[in-house]
Amino acid sequence: MTLLVMLLVLLTGAALQALLPGWTWLGGAQPPILLALVLFYAFAHSRGWMLFCALLAGLLQDALGQVPLGFSCFCFGLAGFAALRYRDDVEEGAWLAQMVFGGLAAAAVNLLLYILLRHADAVVVSSALALRKTIGSALLGALLTPLVFRVVISLERQLGERPASREEAG
Amino acid sequence: MRDRTLFVLILAGVVLLVILNLPEPVSGRLKGFVRDAVAPLQLLVVDISRQGQETIKLARGVSQLMSENQRQAGEIARLRLRLNELDKLEDETLKLRHLLEFRNRTPRRLIACDVLGRDASGWWQTLRLDKGANDSVHADMAVTTPEGLMGRVISATARTCDVLLISDPKCKISAMVSRSQAFGIVTGNGVTTQGQPVCRMEFINVDRRHPVQNGDEVVTSGLGGVFPKDLQIGRLENVKVNDSGLYAEAEVVIAADLGALDYVFVVAGLSPGAPSATAAGPAAEAGAP
Repeated sequence: MTLLVMLLVLLTGAALQALLPGWTWLGGAQPPILLALVLFYAFAHSRGWMLFCALLAGLLQDALGQVPLGFSCFCFGLAGFAALRYRDDVEEGAWLAQMVFGGLAAAAVNLLLYILLRHADAVVVSSALALRKTIGSALLGALLTPLVFRVVISLERQLGERPASREEAG
Repeated sequence: MRDRTLFVLILAGVVLLVILNLPEPVSGRLKGFVRDAVAPLQLLVVDISRQGQETIKLARGVSQLMSENQRQAGEIARLRLRLNELDKLEDETLKLRHLLEFRNRTPRRLIACDVLGRDASGWWQTLRLDKGANDSVHADMAVTTPEGLMGRVISATARTCDVLLISDPKCKISAMVSRSQAFGIVTGNGVTTQGQPVCRMEFINVDRRHPVQNGDEVVTSGLGGVFPKDLQIGRLENVKVNDSGLYAEAEVVIAADLGALDYVFVVAGLSPGAPSATAAGPAAEAGAP
């Protein structure tokens, strides 16, 4: 069931991420829904599920854009590991912690992806725009991550994947 | 437990290394497979989003909708009349061309496409459309809207294609100013902070008798073999001419609404008469990410 829920949220998240517009004043940053899902699986599930989610989310993001295959898997995997590393220190269900992690992870993934793409000579974007996009990604990540967590937790509860009494992810 | 964790980590590392080092054709096929698999879901999400927008519009005012329908009905009637006139003119032109032994140019076929989404990473200015090789859509076909040129197809799978928008810095178009016939290269220049996509046009060897001016209409030149001739790109702004008067550059305000997730048209069957790149038409109609 966990796999089915993961596939459902990843596919829907990918379609939404490709549909939602990028805010120009945030450097054209796209809402990092797929990254938020990777963070959710890092916080709420095992390392194996997180890795599987990072792999699938990365493949989807790369396939739905022009990013060379595997770049996003690598970045998402690193973000997932960072979240795994600190998840025991974070109070369960804390909005603020999710916002901070979401923002930091989105900024780091965006920056890392930019470095990889520049190194591969795959993108023509000025450093100033990349910086603005990184800040934009951080803002969107901070706003979206708690929301995505709540949606997936609610979905898992509806499908019996998570006990109703349990309040938050973890 | 520790062994299992180690095994999972090694497995993940190996999978990642394999994915990163896949040969280009294999990774392209894999991407295409995922794209085609997700396309129906994307179409569903786009449909739901569109229906939501329509419902909101409907709620805002049925009367406004009715008057809009009336206006559109009038517009359709006017366009039908105009189309009839143009059909007659086209027949006449074709006959004349035949008589003059000009190359017989078949009218271009337009393939209507639905926009499925944008580049999911946000690093490129691309759109994904719901038509691909199964519908005879291939790379290097122009994509346009009634307002003007949008971009060109950079890759196509069986059921989808990706379009590089003209505002992307990797997109270059051989263009000309319709008033003065001055040739130049239009290059994507990203999006302004106000959200307006813009291009830059460079002119070399500007004819001093016909200088380019703000407000001039820019169209495709047809040179380069990718974009058909006379597709509107936009209008010139902030024209700057250097001291020698031979080199000029300007911003191009794009005519098409690149941000709208609406129907667009792929221009199929580029006329066989379109010449390849020449000295006058800079050979730089390129730009696949």
